[in-house]
Amino acid sequence: MNLFRSKEHVKKWSGFKPGTEAGILTLADALRVMSTPRHRNRLRPDYVSRLPETVPAFVQRLLEVSGNSPFWDLRPD
Amino acid sequence: MAADHLDETYHFIISVFVERGQAPHFTEIAARFGIPVEEGKRRLHELMAARLPNWLFPETDLIASFAPFNNLPTQYRISVDGEHKWFAQCGLESLAMSWMFPGKRVTVNAPCLDCGEPLRVDILDGEIKQADPGDIHFYVDLPIKKWYGNLPFA
Repeated sequence: MNLFRSKEHVKKWSGFKPGTEAGILTLADALRVMSTPRHRNRLRPDYVSRLPETVPAFVQRLLEVSGNSPFWDLRPD
Repeated sequence: MAADHLDETYHFIISVFVERGQAPHFTEIAARFGIPVEEGKRRLHELMAARLPNWLFPETDLIASFAPFNNLPTQYRISVDGEHKWFAQCGLESLAMSWMFPGKRVTVNAPCLDCGEPLRVDILDGEIKQADPGDIHFYVDLPIKKWYGNLPFA
């Protein structure tokens, strides 16, 4: 789970695995993934008990950002 | 553990990270809530078993990582309004760090793993203020459903 200077750097990286291109996101999209209540609400005193409420928005955001890619689909099979 | 105990233990740990950049020990959990030391340790272990992106250093009672923070240095160095004392769990969690510091400018400094050259992202309340270079990308090689199988290596 790393940041790179560009998409070209990702693909040149020794750790890049062909076939996992779906795992590449722009910086803006990666930030969108981390901007639903699941991550925004971590300072709330009731964060853990209310975590289940945050799942739908997070799942939806992952699908939006990835264009419904199975790589980012958290829904049960 | 009762849900309110999970909430208050979680809130205490993440608040300590925000304040001092390092995790508390379980004895501090015990002191904070006025409970026996062993109860503090039990609370820590129960929270860490709650399938959150947090984990202990193997075979210890020491917090290794507590998203978005890391208790061991990583390549993701975090500064807040110019003060550096935090590390992010990973590149993705570094982007969630601004939610821990509302109203403050959070800077992520890291090397690119391909070339070793630096990259920098400034974020304020979830908005990118500056990114250098301008074409930074994120990469993970594991589908998200498999992340929880081995979080430290996802």
